[in-house]
Amino acid sequence: MTHGDGSANVTRRMRLGLSVASVGYHYTAWRLPEVSSVGAMDLQHHIRAAQIAERGKMDFLFLADWASLLNLDDPRIARDHEHAQLKMDPTLVVSALAAVTERVGLVPTASTTYHHPYNFARRMATIDHISGGRLGWNMVTGFNPEEAYNFSYDAPLSSDKRHARATEFVEVMHRLFDSWEDDALLRDKQSGIYFDRNKVHMLDHDGVYFRIRGPLDVERPPQGRIPIVTAGVSDNAMELAARFADISYGGQPNIEAARTYYRTVKGKMGKYGRSADQMLMMPGLQCYLGRSQGEAEDKFARIQKLLEPKVGIGHLILNHFPDLSGLPLDEPVPDLSMTNDMMEGRISGREPELTLALIRRAKEERLTLRQLFDVAMCGFWSLGVIGTPNQIADTMEEWFTTGAADGFNIQPPYMPAGAEDFVNLVIPELQRRGLFRTEYEGATLRENLGLSPVPNRIGSGLEQTLALAG
Amino acid sequence: MRRQMSLGLSIANIGYHRAGWRHAQARADGAMRFDHYRHCAALAERGRFDLIFLADTASVRSMDHPETARERDHEQVKHEPLALLAALSAITTRVGLVPTVSTSYTDPYNIARAVGTLDHLSHGRAGWNVVTGFSVEEAQNYGLDAVPSSAERYQRATEFFEVTNGLFDSWDDDAIPRDKESGIFFDRSKMHMLNHRGEYFKVRGPLDMPPLPQRHPPIFTAGTSGASEELAARFADVVYAGQPTLEGARSYYASVKARLARYGRSADDLRIMPGIMTYVGRTRQEAQDKFDALQALLAPEHGLGLLVGHGFPDYSGHDLDAPVPQLSAQENLFGAFTVKALQKAWHEKLTIRQLYELVCGGFWSLGTIGTPTDVADLMEEWFTTGAADGFNIQPPCVPMSAEDFVEMVIPELQRRGLFRREYEGRTLREHLGLPKARSRYEEMARQVERVA
Repeated sequence: MTHGDGSANVTRRMRLGLSVASVGYHYTAWRLPEVSSVGAMDLQHHIRAAQIAERGKMDFLFLADWASLLNLDDPRIARDHEHAQLKMDPTLVVSALAAVTERVGLVPTASTTYHHPYNFARRMATIDHISGGRLGWNMVTGFNPEEAYNFSYDAPLSSDKRHARATEFVEVMHRLFDSWEDDALLRDKQSGIYFDRNKVHMLDHDGVYFRIRGPLDVERPPQGRIPIVTAGVSDNAMELAARFADISYGGQPNIEAARTYYRTVKGKMGKYGRSADQMLMMPGLQCYLGRSQGEAEDKFARIQKLLEPKVGIGHLILNHFPDLSGLPLDEPVPDLSMTNDMMEGRISGREPELTLALIRRAKEERLTLRQLFDVAMCGFWSLGVIGTPNQIADTMEEWFTTGAADGFNIQPPYMPAGAEDFVNLVIPELQRRGLFRTEYEGATLRENLGLSPVPNRIGSGLEQTLALAG
Repeated sequence: MRRQMSLGLSIANIGYHRAGWRHAQARADGAMRFDHYRHCAALAERGRFDLIFLADTASVRSMDHPETARERDHEQVKHEPLALLAALSAITTRVGLVPTVSTSYTDPYNIARAVGTLDHLSHGRAGWNVVTGFSVEEAQNYGLDAVPSSAERYQRATEFFEVTNGLFDSWDDDAIPRDKESGIFFDRSKMHMLNHRGEYFKVRGPLDMPPLPQRHPPIFTAGTSGASEELAARFADVVYAGQPTLEGARSYYASVKARLARYGRSADDLRIMPGIMTYVGRTRQEAQDKFDALQALLAPEHGLGLLVGHGFPDYSGHDLDAPVPQLSAQENLFGAFTVKALQKAWHEKLTIRQLYELVCGGFWSLGTIGTPTDVADLMEEWFTTGAADGFNIQPPCVPMSAEDFVEMVIPELQRRGLFRREYEGRTLREHLGLPKARSRYEEMARQVERVA
């Protein structure tokens, strides 16, 4: 491929993450007979997922997280029917995975609101060392009230405060990573000098949220900077992404919305001194795969059938619908429209766009209540496809080549078969089209993502230079 | 069956001798290399150790004090213990995994999740060594100018345990039916909110994790103050004591165990495992040579720096081979350990060089140089005369000294019937012979049943 000006360019390739929510993205995945319902509490389950990703040459394994159960006070939301509420701390799960995998990146989720940057920097730097530079971090700010209650808060911090804290958190963490210059640790048995005092740097950070002296007690992580993933469509979230994210995990249901999001977020990068290619836009993609369309539809129908009305109606409530229990399941839902009441009474931070789309569709297609929650719950708040490998590759290629995505986070509806289907059927097709790697290019996650190395800013004098330049 | 010792292998950094990293066979960068720890963990399992122990402090020490010669120490960069032990859980099957966690600089919900995760990852092999943090450098990494008072730290630690223990009791044993038929994954009626509102923490709960394999992973503590003994008597399963003499250890042992009753616990509910540093050789001469070889690596600047770091006066500029100078009325400036060591130095007319060698050799707690028989004799005496239930082995230099212990001392202890030849249990609680832990709700139900 060449640019218009004739300069040679490396072929642009997709990036692919394997996003594993417990035993799958579908709420009833755990009820399938072949799925282990213990799943996410068993290290072997995670090892298997990582091995599938590694076999498929995928960039990373992604683990979502929140440090609480959700909606405990609202029995209308049937969380007790879900499998993803009970889980392990993903930072430690990926540390265990680092010991038994070789190539695949490992991306746990952790909140800047409920961690302390010194503790967190130590842990992340350690895992980056254990994995030989394969760690990433999905940075979240935590908006669930139930999490806040577990960390001595009476309510979640406002979005502004959470994002201000996240900004300071990341800046401090990066400086902590740079505490030791690359040649600070001499370990010279002859002279008996273990490190050069002049190449270890105090932080003396005194900010709004943190006061941290430093230095970090861990050698600089192999990647220097651990790639950061963020998501979210609020203004604050997009600013944070534009400033720090190496990957944006977008959740856009259609290609037009995804293109707009792609342009909007990348357009904000300039003011932080970053170019658009320094961030990879990787929307979520849930797919049901079959060798034929019919086979794919059957797989989808099989799992949807396990959805209970109670669970479905609860999820409509989470998406700002009124409580529709009591209405007949198999008759068209009455005409609904988005009202202020609905948004005021909302019990989740979900964006209203999906609700509006669902209301429109219910009216146009005269959906029954059961059909409405079937649609709402199949995970198509992000991109979803039911089809053959070719059809899925076509969709991915279109998104990839027309400014909607730089790659995708694959969200298997159930594990491990959903991930195996993708690796066995879709990846070879993407490789055939030259859209995806056939071998890992590098040893670290940064290298595989094509991100440039980050020099130690303190040691190189860069930090002072930048401070002077204002 | 005859009572058996519990043994921990302490694998922090590259060993307990400060200059050990300079040894020709030492892996000087080991503390930052996972394959080094991988080797240590395999060694611990080969030796049938109860557990691997990782000491920790979340800071780089004494950067403002060049006279401490920290640039000659190997302890300043390392792996964070929870992450390291999580990684080791994937490549070990039997040995217990005990990270150090500070209650002063962490949050109980995060720690309950982390320790719980380690217990699930390892199928019941997690423990945690709880410290309250004594170093000012650590405090300064967490927004404080100075270390909080001991009283305040212990108060926070007490509340911390109340929260973590409460979170570990969030779910009854049968609370997670995962019933594919009915679609019920967890049973709300068997879930317990904590609703803790204390002085330091407000934690609602429940923990977002099924009950831990061990329910309550064993808690380790150390410390010899009244407050720390009280905390141990109330919450600890293992005490990692540091007593240099048999008499001191016996009275400490008796004192801590005597405190248990007031918390409704029996003497068997707590294991006392002093640290012990061992230099082992097939002959006494070989052992002495190993010791001398490490001591020879200690540069005078390093030795003097270590003394300053331990709170001794700065002797730089003095004749190293002259006796340790007498002090006037300044003794109360120094900690108890320092005063004791100084008194010993004056009494025995030690030179400055001999004093720093003594301190560096690790003999501030229990230490020994000798044959496997010598070491086993000492351990047996402590074990059988009310001074210890086991030991935390502190190898001067890892992995060599740990290999020596596994190859020479363990077989001798096994021959004497003092230590297991094979793992009998699966969990750390089982290794340590601790009673099964039950949730407070199950405990209550059992009591009600007894009364009825």
